[in-house]
Amino acid sequence: MLKSFKRAVAAGSVFLFFLGIAFAADHYAPVYYKEPLKSKALRDPVSALIALPFELVRWPIDKGLVYIEDNHIDRKALYIYDEMKEFGITPHVAFTDSAIMPLVGGNVDFVSLAGKKGQYHDLIAEASLRYAMGNLFIVDSELGLRRIGETGFYSSGTFNFDHRSREPFYGIGPDTSRGDSSSVRMETIYLAWNAGYEFSPSLNLKGIFAFKENRIKHRAHDGKGDMTEIFAGKNIPGLYGGEELFWKAEFVRDTRDTKDEATRGSYQKLSFKFTEGVDGGKARFFTYQLDAAKYFRLGSPRRILAARVFGEHNDEVSGGEVPFYDMARLGGMGSSQRTSEAHRAFVYNRFYGESALLFSLEYRYAIWEYREFKMNAAIFLDEGQTFNEFGKFKFGDFRESYGLGFYLSHSRHTILNFSVAHGDEGTKFYVKNKIPF
Amino acid sequence: MKKYLAGVVVVLSLVLPVPGIASEKPAINRQKTGLYKDVFDQGVYYEGVNQLDLGRWGRKIFGKKIPSANVNIFDEVPDSSFFTNRHARRKLSPAELERGCSETPGPDLSGPMTVIKGKQEGLHPGFFIKDAKGDSYLLKFDAEGYLGLATGAEVVASRFYHAIGYNVPQYTIFRFRPEDIVAGENAYTYDDTGFKKKMTPELLEQYLSFLPITEEGEYLASASKILPGKNKGYFSFRSRRKNDPDDPVNHRDRREIRALAIFSAWLNNNDIRESNTLDMAVTDENGRTTLKHYLIDFNSALGAAKGGPKPPMFGHEYMLDYGEVAKAFISLGLWEKPWQERWREAEEEVSHESPAVGYFDNNNFDPDDHKAQLPYEVFRILTSADGFWAAKIMASFSEDDIRAMVKAGQYDKEDEDYLTGVLTERRDMIIRHWFSEAAPLDNFEYHDGLLKFSDLAVDRAFEKKETAVYVADLFSYKKGWKKISTIESGESFFNLDPALVSSSTKTKLEIRVKRNGDEAEGRYVKVILGPDGIQKIQRED
Repeated sequence: MLKSFKRAVAAGSVFLFFLGIAFAADHYAPVYYKEPLKSKALRDPVSALIALPFELVRWPIDKGLVYIEDNHIDRKALYIYDEMKEFGITPHVAFTDSAIMPLVGGNVDFVSLAGKKGQYHDLIAEASLRYAMGNLFIVDSELGLRRIGETGFYSSGTFNFDHRSREPFYGIGPDTSRGDSSSVRMETIYLAWNAGYEFSPSLNLKGIFAFKENRIKHRAHDGKGDMTEIFAGKNIPGLYGGEELFWKAEFVRDTRDTKDEATRGSYQKLSFKFTEGVDGGKARFFTYQLDAAKYFRLGSPRRILAARVFGEHNDEVSGGEVPFYDMARLGGMGSSQRTSEAHRAFVYNRFYGESALLFSLEYRYAIWEYREFKMNAAIFLDEGQTFNEFGKFKFGDFRESYGLGFYLSHSRHTILNFSVAHGDEGTKFYVKNKIPF
Repeated sequence: MKKYLAGVVVVLSLVLPVPGIASEKPAINRQKTGLYKDVFDQGVYYEGVNQLDLGRWGRKIFGKKIPSANVNIFDEVPDSSFFTNRHARRKLSPAELERGCSETPGPDLSGPMTVIKGKQEGLHPGFFIKDAKGDSYLLKFDAEGYLGLATGAEVVASRFYHAIGYNVPQYTIFRFRPEDIVAGENAYTYDDTGFKKKMTPELLEQYLSFLPITEEGEYLASASKILPGKNKGYFSFRSRRKNDPDDPVNHRDRREIRALAIFSAWLNNNDIRESNTLDMAVTDENGRTTLKHYLIDFNSALGAAKGGPKPPMFGHEYMLDYGEVAKAFISLGLWEKPWQERWREAEEEVSHESPAVGYFDNNNFDPDDHKAQLPYEVFRILTSADGFWAAKIMASFSEDDIRAMVKAGQYDKEDEDYLTGVLTERRDMIIRHWFSEAAPLDNFEYHDGLLKFSDLAVDRAFEKKETAVYVADLFSYKKGWKKISTIESGESFFNLDPALVSSSTKTKLEIRVKRNGDEAEGRYVKVILGPDGIQKIQRED
């Protein structure tokens, strides 16, 4: 019994020995230098403590993102947006030049709304409404035809109403001070008939006949006096608003490859306008305006030099005057129509004048691309001034803005423009969804 | 009083974990993720928060690395629920390589397949179906105009990952006719609108009408067999599942997960991310539940990406690549990025004419700088030892092996030759790189004072045998390591003095390779010998 046990032990030992050799020779065997395997901390205790508040922020964000993806919230939102657009209602979000609050609203295409887009695709019947809390309320509407009888002719009537709660004013001419500022509440009613001919997609000639009423209310606010007090004794034409009629001819040539992210081509807008005050209004002046830009590829579509020139001159006729609200204006990002032109280191509407001259030079280059997303960096310089008489024009009155921008786009449409500009009045930061030109 | 005490005990026992209950294995929860979470976590959150990691900065400043924690004494990764050593351990036959883990040739078409659920992305639908045998599959298709691109890439990449050692579902190229598929009674889909819709026969027909078809009028799909077990979500590339006893090491420190960066560079699978992994809980006949960790979704491998050929920046940049953005910004756009140069040289067209191949070549391919879509830290902390391990596995695949796996994609001969050529060339580029980053010595054996090894760079004919000199610093352990001598050998072995390697102590060799008379010494491989032979092999990081 004992013998057989010893034999069994001996046999077992031999088996285990060879098994051990075999196991040891197996380079893939789970034999570790230090056993058992233990996990090391991913961070040292101090770093873990520093990261803790961020972890607390990450958790709900992660949960939210997973929820959005799991429940297809993103697709649903896009679908609803597309459906609304198809139906004729387009929501709208933008950033204003004059306010921090976003400009929200929407556009209604009545032809689509009536389900007649296919039948009357050239018919324009649109209205839009935009609102920025405590600052802006804008109504636009247009009725007309994009093309008349399969020709290049078109015609439409427009009605606009603007309510601007705080339209800033800093004086007229190049030598004004930002400290001497006030603002007015301005309401503008605009009724126009437009007609023109589109020679080609890049060439357009347009005529406008319009009636405009400017209602102005002066009031003190933010501890400052109203405009009549701040600028007492100064000749500010149009201080109490007025009604006007104007005739305008506009020629546009646009050969850019895309409007938002042009890498080649140019545009030229040339307009001539005659304005006359009605119902006792003193306004009577000609306006000449040139806005042109050219885009140069610097050896690659990823490196673009964009140059722009803007000039405007308002010339009084027969003792008439140019109301301040019709004057050329510079300051801000210039990203929305009917406001002042881009002079980025200065606040919106910073410079008023009967004439304005502005040169912008911008070097744009791609720094990031991912599928259809692209980010351009831009280094820019704006040189501009306003002045009243040609005889008073001085090169020394030019003011500089220089800075840096980051333009994010998708499928060559700008989504975000983050810019910082510096000039002799300080530094300005912008977050917009348009670029100035 | 006793009543109150009893009440308190009862309440506490409900609130606090009772030892008996706590000792039971806790349930494994399903972890959820998705592309958005992955992008936010990796592209934004960790990119920022990692900068607050003092240890990380310390390692950067002092050039320290975190070695992989799950390697055995031979510096290998033992089999686990994440990885099974396959081709590198035992050569798989060409037939095995081509078959991968396939159990079936695809859905059984002896009866019509029934759609259970739709998976709609743009104009590219996918269907969860049940076949005549009752097996479930997910069918995925190519984008219009690119027949064979995504489907082929998915199947071929799955074969590679499987042969390397990862767990993957069964993917097969599958052809069927319109009459082979019907909408199930309760079938539904979430289409582009994001809203749930009943999958009617009309809707199914509409979806099928968008699909590209072969010359024979068949639909071409990649069919992945639905995995057995319970879906427990993704596995993290960072931390372990704390309630899984089979998962003792943080995934950041798992060599096979780090090495995914290298294997994915080989396969051009830049879409390797957490949301393309899957944990399945499988219960065996003894009632024991274990997790098996899978890689899934390879239809963005090789020259493919969602919607068509790979965009030119893929593989060269992360989705949000702050480093590349900074370089481009500082250089004022005058520096041309490698992918831009490659794209310009290709005249902004995919390099191979076949739509089934897409954008896949080795121009401007940098084995050390191929990037996945997201900047996972686990890929960044990869050490030269990890890289050598991955390269060693890649070296086990011959050109014929690669061709066998490419065959699974059912390409035409020209495309098969092209893909085999690109993958073979890329394999060599990667191996050459990682063999130069580490001492490429392996297969160590020690008997009776003779330490033998292989020089893998010589074996692969990257280097000439006669130009190699192996230099070893010899250390003995007596209350710490003490250098005894330096020995040299022109052959891939060292004859050690038995007196040095005594049975009572440990001996360490730090072996470096000098080639072509170079004075400069590369990284060493450390071999610790004990009374029982080799005790540890470790590579300098």
